[in-house]
Amino acid sequence: MMRSLYSIIFLFLSSLLAVSAQDNSVVLKGKVLDSADGYPLIGVSVTVEGRSGGTITDVDGQYELKIPKQQCEVVFSYVGYDDKVIRYNLKNDSAFSKVVMYMNVTQLADVVVTGVYERKKESFTGASATFKSDQLKSVGTSNVLQSLSTLDPSFKMMESTQFGSNPNVMPEIEIRGKTSVVGLKEEYGTDPNQPLFILDGFETSIETIMNLNMNRVASVTILKDAASTAIYGSKASNGVVVIETKAPARGRLQLSYKGDFGLSLADLSDYNLMNAREKLEFETLAGVYKDNSGDPFAQLRLDDLRNRRLLEIERGVDTYWLSEPVRAGFTHKHNIYAEGGEDKIRYGIGLSLGNTDGVMKGSDRQTLEGNVDLIYRTGKFQFSNKLSINWLDVSNPTVSFAEYAYANPYYRKRDADGGIEKYLYYPEDGVDDYPVSNPLWNAHLNNWDKASGFGFTNNFIFEWFMTESLRMRAKFGLTKQDDDEQTRLSPQHTQFDDVGETEKGLYTHTQIKELVYEGDVAVTFGKLLAEKHMLNAVGGFNFSNNHRRIYGYSATGFTDDQFDAPSFANGYPVGDSPDYSESLKRAASFYINGGYAYAERYLLDFNYRLDGASMFGTGNRFRNTWSVGTGWNIHNEPFLKDSDFFSLLKLRGSVGNPGNQNFSAYQAFSTYKFNGWMTNIFGTGVILNALGNTELSWQETTNYDVGVDLTFWGERINITYDYYWKHTDPLLAIITTPGSMGVTSVAMNAGSQKTRGWEATMRISPVYRPSEGIMWNISLNATSSKSQYADIGNSFSALNESGKTSLVGTTRYYDGGSPTAIWAVRSAGIDPATGRELFIKKDGTYSFTYDVNDEVVVGDTQPKVEGLLGTSLYFKGLSIGCYLRYRYGGQVFNSSLFQKVENIGTQEVYNNQDKRALYDRWSENNREAYFKGISLVQRTEKSSRFVMDDNSLVGESFNIGYEFPDRIVRRMRMGALNVQLNMTDMFRATSVRVERGIDYPFARTVTMSLGITF
Amino acid sequence: MLTVVLSSCDAWLDVKPYDKMSQDELLSSEAGYMKLLNGIYIELNRDMLYGGAMSMEMIEIMGGAYVIGTNNSVWGNYADLAEYEYGTDYWRARFNETWNKAYSLILNCNLLLENLETTDVRFTGDNYKIIKGEALALRAMLHFDMLRLFGPVYSRNPEALSIPYYKVYSVVPNERLSASEVAAEITRDLHEARILLANDPVRTSGTMASAPSDGASSFMHYRNLRLNYYAVTALLARSGLYFGDNDAAYKYSTEVIEAAREVFPFVDRNLVSGSPDDPDRIFSSEVIFALTHSQRNTVFKGYFDPSRIPNYVFRMDNDLMSNVIYGGGATTGGSQDDYRYRVNWVATGANRYFYKYSDMVDSGSITNTMIPMIRLGEMYLIAAESRSSGLEAGVSYVNLLRAARGVSKLPTLTMETLQYEYIRELYGEGQLFFMYKRMFSPVIFSATASRNPQPSDAIFVVPLPSTETDN
Repeated sequence: MMRSLYSIIFLFLSSLLAVSAQDNSVVLKGKVLDSADGYPLIGVSVTVEGRSGGTITDVDGQYELKIPKQQCEVVFSYVGYDDKVIRYNLKNDSAFSKVVMYMNVTQLADVVVTGVYERKKESFTGASATFKSDQLKSVGTSNVLQSLSTLDPSFKMMESTQFGSNPNVMPEIEIRGKTSVVGLKEEYGTDPNQPLFILDGFETSIETIMNLNMNRVASVTILKDAASTAIYGSKASNGVVVIETKAPARGRLQLSYKGDFGLSLADLSDYNLMNAREKLEFETLAGVYKDNSGDPFAQLRLDDLRNRRLLEIERGVDTYWLSEPVRAGFTHKHNIYAEGGEDKIRYGIGLSLGNTDGVMKGSDRQTLEGNVDLIYRTGKFQFSNKLSINWLDVSNPTVSFAEYAYANPYYRKRDADGGIEKYLYYPEDGVDDYPVSNPLWNAHLNNWDKASGFGFTNNFIFEWFMTESLRMRAKFGLTKQDDDEQTRLSPQHTQFDDVGETEKGLYTHTQIKELVYEGDVAVTFGKLLAEKHMLNAVGGFNFSNNHRRIYGYSATGFTDDQFDAPSFANGYPVGDSPDYSESLKRAASFYINGGYAYAERYLLDFNYRLDGASMFGTGNRFRNTWSVGTGWNIHNEPFLKDSDFFSLLKLRGSVGNPGNQNFSAYQAFSTYKFNGWMTNIFGTGVILNALGNTELSWQETTNYDVGVDLTFWGERINITYDYYWKHTDPLLAIITTPGSMGVTSVAMNAGSQKTRGWEATMRISPVYRPSEGIMWNISLNATSSKSQYADIGNSFSALNESGKTSLVGTTRYYDGGSPTAIWAVRSAGIDPATGRELFIKKDGTYSFTYDVNDEVVVGDTQPKVEGLLGTSLYFKGLSIGCYLRYRYGGQVFNSSLFQKVENIGTQEVYNNQDKRALYDRWSENNREAYFKGISLVQRTEKSSRFVMDDNSLVGESFNIGYEFPDRIVRRMRMGALNVQLNMTDMFRATSVRVERGIDYPFARTVTMSLGITF
Repeated sequence: MLTVVLSSCDAWLDVKPYDKMSQDELLSSEAGYMKLLNGIYIELNRDMLYGGAMSMEMIEIMGGAYVIGTNNSVWGNYADLAEYEYGTDYWRARFNETWNKAYSLILNCNLLLENLETTDVRFTGDNYKIIKGEALALRAMLHFDMLRLFGPVYSRNPEALSIPYYKVYSVVPNERLSASEVAAEITRDLHEARILLANDPVRTSGTMASAPSDGASSFMHYRNLRLNYYAVTALLARSGLYFGDNDAAYKYSTEVIEAAREVFPFVDRNLVSGSPDDPDRIFSSEVIFALTHSQRNTVFKGYFDPSRIPNYVFRMDNDLMSNVIYGGGATTGGSQDDYRYRVNWVATGANRYFYKYSDMVDSGSITNTMIPMIRLGEMYLIAAESRSSGLEAGVSYVNLLRAARGVSKLPTLTMETLQYEYIRELYGEGQLFFMYKRMFSPVIFSATASRNPQPSDAIFVVPLPSTETDN
């Protein structure tokens, strides 16, 4: 009430002043307000059409503009809002006292947020993609990354055959493919291909992004090429994902609730296991019940064993073990957010709760997050602070899914009384045979594997709007995260069958403490000169410090299953010492970015960054990153200006050399350790622990990109196409060395990798009536890339050798070879006459003898093209969407056939196997078989017979949503109400059948989401 | 301005690990160099080197010292080694382990030497030279043993490609050199070490095999546990003989013998003659260089203790012992009066067992930790063999040694009797295989000559680890 009184008085006074101005010029005064909430807009530029100079509104939205006393047009412009033009006709001063501006929804989406600076998409030369909160939520509700992979073809979330849908395993993420040699992750513990994640302007971890409640996210921008990522210098070669959370909105206190309720079911359709009768038949054919020792009693025993099993089968025993560890997983996530405030102070307080039950029993993930957002603005200063506090509680099943897949179907799960027996089969005394343990036994014990975490992040940003075109910003972010992991194995676990009483049971405890801080000071300049020359510049300094410590110990000697406190342990395992490790990484950088646009037609961007990082040797501590980008907005050319056909037609290209520093903290140091195991009269001794390489160069990727952005036919067709070429040189790799070097492996720069690829997204809207809320979109995106090694020579020969001798390794490292190629000896199939595999040698001749040196490329796991096909329909408040993922032209080495059909040895035959192990096997009666005859001793080598085309179509996301119309919502005393139903991975059609989800099955999920605003 | 900012940044970015010792911190003082040097000596005690494989286990089996049974459950993989089947997975892995460990210690030596070149640390007294000399000698000794194990039979094929010789730390693998080139490198390093060790206190004050009474650092004491001046000289004698340079071998072995009267006197016969309760089984005063292994008795129990039965126990063939090595009279030089027999071979049941590495009663004594690497007796044998006028003339050196062992003189010296003397003197110390390889003679497993393996490259040349040849 007081405010409006003040403004009335002020307006009155200001109009008086305007009138009393001199005759040849006049001063226009007034206030600019937002149409949505009536609050003042700060920093709106006010200019006279056709003249240079102008002013901007102050913190109260007030402005004062001196103009010549003549008719003219006054332009109000503000990022994200429609320009407002008011004609001054010498006497309508009052029309300028209160100017209302309208937000331009489409335009806001057209801003590229890099986390360091923002730029209009139209004048940006980099390759990037921005997605808004509702887009992300419409394709999935589990997490931001999952949704991104559905929306952008270059953002790939690698499917984990091993860990399936385990909610506690972090996914592997790649943007535009790998730039680093495999094997480094194991060595360094950090994924060297992982992109950089920026949350609200600060670097963060993939775990934080995975835990982030999607309802807090405002937008996500993926930066792909050198021009857009180079501002992050040496961390940017894998691409950057910039996530902005919602900022509190002005207005009266507003409360919103968002909830997701999901149901997941295990997808076991890839398992093709034998039933009891098939398994027994297979064992019989394989000769399990045939004695070779010539001892008649042994044969009697085996006959008896088989008969007893057969009897059980006749009684109807056909156990389906896979159903035992799985369950229907219920997931619920809630987010409550209260926001409000006026122009000086805005606040938001939120609470998010997430509870994900995985599809395996005992697999849970609970997150609780509280956040407080504050924005305070006074004069030319703005302070904003985001605080978030999070708790995490996870638990994992202690028996892997694979153990259930191994269990034979002719065993009963439980005994007659419903009890669980420790062994499904226990050999009689004196029989040289292994006992078979019951997976349910270990599962029913008091074993656990759990972790909890607590952390907070506080990000503070100070901004000083020095002048209209000059702004200074200082940021400081602090993150503290403490995690605690504990596992316990009961003394009755089968693992402890053969150890002494005092060594049974195992408890391990690991604590991880992490402290990260990051600071950044930057000055931003942006000015339109002479109406044609748009200049943007950012320069700043950034430093970060990441300190991580890990403590751990284990204890053993438990006597009881039930009482599991670590204090009941008998002691520490013999010879075990406490774990302690720490890493301290520091980085300091200077950066500068400049952009120039001439008449919004010709664009030029450049970036330069000087990075220093503690991980690199004193000889190579600093590194330069640069990039240059250029673009041409053809649609703004005079010859197209009059045509409305193209609303966007842009050609752009960029080149730069972002680097990668996802490496271990102390790789450049030679470090020493105490001998530990012995001292002598001379005292202690130390020897080399790890050999550092002070000359180690930063891995650097020269990145070229050319692209076109096209929007035409009344915005109905939207196409983006990019062709890129990446050259990583040198690669950084752990190379196996001759033992005479004194170490068996060393971090070295060796060779290079070249990748070429393209990606395209196309959106067509056959029906496009946004004003009526009716729209039908069809989207198709596709990506393809090819990589090859160069100049690696023999550096990786040891890896090649171990690949050749390993059971399933098909990756080789040769010049000209692709990192994803499948190497194996070509096979001509099974010889009908003999049942032996016929190989094709390198020179094309046939041979029955397998020679590992005949290996050639027989396939590539990288598909020729992959992407998503989607459609979405909006009709008033109703929306329906459907996204299908396709892969075409890739191959896979079918390890299920290789290990669970052939290569079943005397050990493996006791596990349940793939049905195909019984059928289509060569025998005297089935000579045209694809697989060799059943044998426990015959070894099958890696050949092209197991390489299969891997084409697939997956129903990745289906959704239907409804946004209730205003009149109904008002009647219910709400601000907004929407519901949505989302289904993920509903079907999967593939050309090859391979077991997926070895340790943890995949899942199909249905989620219902609800959003209410009061 | 920018330079100032950058240099302050550089300081801030100079992070030192806390859970590990960085090289800069460790080697910022004299004590750091001493710890690193001591660390290398300690690591020599590993079981893949001289705490097992290269002194009393693997290498002695190859040298025919022990009876190896055929019962797999008792003898495991040893039967393969006694048949010189080096290609089995187990033995390939074992040789690989030995090779890798030896070269990793060479790398440690090289890092020490390289830092020593550029350091600005001030060392007290002659410590700089002593540390550098010992590190050079260690590097030479490890290369020498790898050459003797994996290289060609030098006397027959000195130009054959053998092993790489690492003199500096490098991330690029060094080329393999011919055996003669490696020999030259070894000799060069040993010569340099000898010059650096010219002021070694062992030359003036003896071995000083006890801690300083004032509680000061032991670094310059126990010189017989370090590669001292005489140890380097003895290594020159040993390598000279191996490389066929008899003049050098004679010159250096006699130099040691000369000095030994003061520094490495023959063992006090009261400690070994008669029936002492507590004999000095390794003849500790004669050891020119030994390792100190704090759990030597555990090692003894793991290989030689008769209470291990029914598990394997390493001991000499009964027939060989009673008819040749410690029997057979003047033709073999064997006698049961030999001190080496009386103190080292203890009867249990029908057999005698090898007690060289068993503890003396005085359990705290430093002698209970010693694993001899080179001893005075070998110098007499080298002098005998390398004397320019031939074996006949060398018999006097063998007889000097025998006199100190309480046995009668040999009338003449033959290759066989010399080998027997080697077996008596150096049994269980890892030198026998190298002697047969050097002489290219049959390996004496047994008293029956026909059962002893004939010399060949197949038994004397161990194949290089596959990581060497692949890269």
